[in-house]
Amino acid sequence: MFLGKSSEKQSAAKSKTKFSTYMKRYWQLYVLLAIPMIYLVVFKYAPMIYIQIAFKKYSIVQSVWEMPIAANHGFQYFIQAFQNPEFIRALRNTIVLNLLDLCIGFPIPIIFALILNELVFKRFKKAVQTIAYMPHFLSWVIIYGLAIQLFAPTTGLVNQAIEAMGGEAIPFLNDNFHWVWTYVFLGVWQSFGWNSIVYLAAIAGISPELYEAASVDGAGRFSKMWHITLPGIKPTIVILLIMAIGGILGSSFDRPFALQNNLVMNWAQVISTYVYQYGIKGLQFSLTTAVGLFQSVVGVFFLLMANWLSRKLGERGIW
Amino acid sequence: MKKKLLSVLLATSMVASLAACGSSETATDTTSSETATEETASESDAAESKTAAEGSASSSELVDGKFAETRHITVEVYDRGNDGGSDPTNNMYTKYIQDQMLEQHNVEVEFVKVPRWTEVDEINNLLAAQSAPDICVTYSYATIQTYADMGGVLDLSSYVNDYKDDLTNLWDWLGESNINWDKDPDTGSIWALEARLANQNRINTFIRKDWLDTLGLEEPTTKEEFYNVLVAFKENADTLLGDDADKMVPYSISYDVGWRAATLIESFMDPDITEKEYYINGFDDRKLTETGTKDAIQLLNTWYNEGLLWDDFAVYSSGDTTEDDMMKAGYVGAFTHNWDYPYRNGEDSIEANLKRLVGEDASYIAIDPFEDSNGTHTKWISGPIDRKIFFPVTNDEPLASLLYLDFISDPETIQYLQIGDEGVTHTVADNGAIQIIAAEGDAIQNSGMNIDYTITCNGLHLTDDDLTTLSLAYSYAEVDPELIIRADEIAKTDTREIGNVQVGAIASETGVGEALSSKRDQVYDTAVSAAADAFESTWETGMADYLASGGQAIIDERTTAWEATYGDATELPQN
Repeated sequence: MFLGKSSEKQSAAKSKTKFSTYMKRYWQLYVLLAIPMIYLVVFKYAPMIYIQIAFKKYSIVQSVWEMPIAANHGFQYFIQAFQNPEFIRALRNTIVLNLLDLCIGFPIPIIFALILNELVFKRFKKAVQTIAYMPHFLSWVIIYGLAIQLFAPTTGLVNQAIEAMGGEAIPFLNDNFHWVWTYVFLGVWQSFGWNSIVYLAAIAGISPELYEAASVDGAGRFSKMWHITLPGIKPTIVILLIMAIGGILGSSFDRPFALQNNLVMNWAQVISTYVYQYGIKGLQFSLTTAVGLFQSVVGVFFLLMANWLSRKLGERGIW
Repeated sequence: MKKKLLSVLLATSMVASLAACGSSETATDTTSSETATEETASESDAAESKTAAEGSASSSELVDGKFAETRHITVEVYDRGNDGGSDPTNNMYTKYIQDQMLEQHNVEVEFVKVPRWTEVDEINNLLAAQSAPDICVTYSYATIQTYADMGGVLDLSSYVNDYKDDLTNLWDWLGESNINWDKDPDTGSIWALEARLANQNRINTFIRKDWLDTLGLEEPTTKEEFYNVLVAFKENADTLLGDDADKMVPYSISYDVGWRAATLIESFMDPDITEKEYYINGFDDRKLTETGTKDAIQLLNTWYNEGLLWDDFAVYSSGDTTEDDMMKAGYVGAFTHNWDYPYRNGEDSIEANLKRLVGEDASYIAIDPFEDSNGTHTKWISGPIDRKIFFPVTNDEPLASLLYLDFISDPETIQYLQIGDEGVTHTVADNGAIQIIAAEGDAIQNSGMNIDYTITCNGLHLTDDDLTTLSLAYSYAEVDPELIIRADEIAKTDTREIGNVQVGAIASETGVGEALSSKRDQVYDTAVSAAADAFESTWETGMADYLASGGQAIIDERTTAWEATYGDATELPQN
């Protein structure tokens, strides 16, 4: 008893000294860690206090705690959003455009990375890589400027070429159906190079011995790609896929906003531009906070679903 | 050792700076919002006690119109971002205003610039951040109403009446009608004062005079003649433009069809429409829901499919200069726009560019080709109102701010700001007309006639009325005065002014203005560019969507509000 107590004390003192020597040795790392933590708290968590205006009647002159609860037990703005045909349309468009982006935009960087990996000439490979990365650094406003020069119905370069060859102009920007593909294509063009970097890094991590062994066994290029490279980067692919699915209801603002025009708004209005138009320009902050909250909740749900599914299928999830 | 020391130093300094940033930000944030709410509370108290006290002895704070202690106010001014313009917050005119205000009223004036083309967004941000200038100016009454509903705007009704004796210039210039324009019929509150439009000209259609002459055509005076002229332009594109024939646009419109074909659309309206009818459908200032508009758009659709309009009009958005550049380069035969559009901007005007790029003969003249069902050319003009001036609740110098408005409405002030100094910004012609010349440096007027400073007045207004009319024609640098006189006359032909309907705020209009305007543009744009056989369905779907998105609710509420105020009457009561 007596002995135990003293040993307890001892171990407590020991762990205390352990902790202080530990901190003495590593405190710099904690100081460094504090920087991103403070950033997160100030810019990501503190603003979340304002999520409550989704359930409250917003007023500019009241503090967020004093604002009165909205009608229908606070759910007035959610009901209002779902009764608005424009919001339903924005929701549909967001899902459709993001799904297309996912189906087309997701595999292309993988394929590109695989092809790059097979290139033998180092210089050629580097040149291709640089060219493919470049569009990533262009803002969407500039890309739209390029698009209108190339794809405008009558004055666009592409359409002029088509007409010169006797064809009929293609309404890339002014017809709903074509616009959707232009949107997807420009998105893929802008990001596939950049997105392939992660895969290239993953490929670089695969042990060369595997390839050597496969060569000895008489495997060709394609079977090496199929049986070694792809399985090697599978965990990376799965993690990125989960994150992409989590963002199915999210949407960037600048891409649709820069590309949309009045003729295609029925397919170009997405949640982010809807929030801008109704919330910021129309001063309906409560309504659009409700929409944003809905978007986030659904996003989290999809993320969890995808994560759960990938673990079910024997892959590692994100956590 | 050295390395370690350095890394420690670096890390701590980084953390310190970041923490300082973060903490000070949040700290000021909370305190500012707290003090702001406190301020509004104490302010409304003060305002009440003030008005109560002022009731008997007005403006005890002023001695000879001057404050005993120097006051400080901030005033919004539009920033147009002109190439080579002067600094909107610091130039010859702001110095004049600042000196005079200090001398006459002992009030220090500070200007706050707000980008002209995104003014509504910017003012929203400033109001939301409680940092809006004391005197705010906007074209959007809906914005003011929204903030007023939240308690963010000062009610001016008691101020303008209590201090009436100190505000003679303001009352003389704006008059009962503009001051009480936005008065709520129930509560009597006034959230904003309406600036006065000295010249109510609205819109005109312009055509290339030299093209008409080359082809030996008469000026069109009816829709049919106008159509024939457009067809003639297109058929003779080779003669008119040579190698650039394929770039010709006989009649140009933009994505904003409702404005850029307004003369045509309005000619399909019933010229004898009742004021009630006009008001009920009047939320959309582009006449989308008026009867007759569909026919007008169908006509445009026909023209579009015949290749008489600009094919790509809808893919270029607001602020894009592609269309103006086409006009300047001489590819556009006719277009509809602000009554003096091609003559604006001095050396950079469409007219001046056209003369430089195409030739001395090239010129746009105003025409009046769209007859209505009475055979007249009715131009619908709104009342003589322009921008709306309001004070946010953060304004703690309402009297000093009103004195500013009074000073800026003084005819002498308006005249000086509009024409500046002789030899610097204007010359006097032999017939006495004031002629604006291109100024340099500090004296450059960023906006035509400095309307950005004369916030209570839009349009040339000199102390002598006859001189005003004469000078108007000479106020466009580099443009033949005859063209202006002609455009002015046509813009004033068959005008019908719609009175001020005062039925209080319409709740369903709050917050939907921007969204409905963009929806309306979509309806117009898709309908104009639809294939001929798809026009009917495109129009109907678009309209149904517009009405379902809030358009119908507004029409219904406006009907109810009209009937509640004016009963069965279909016209406004005559005062």
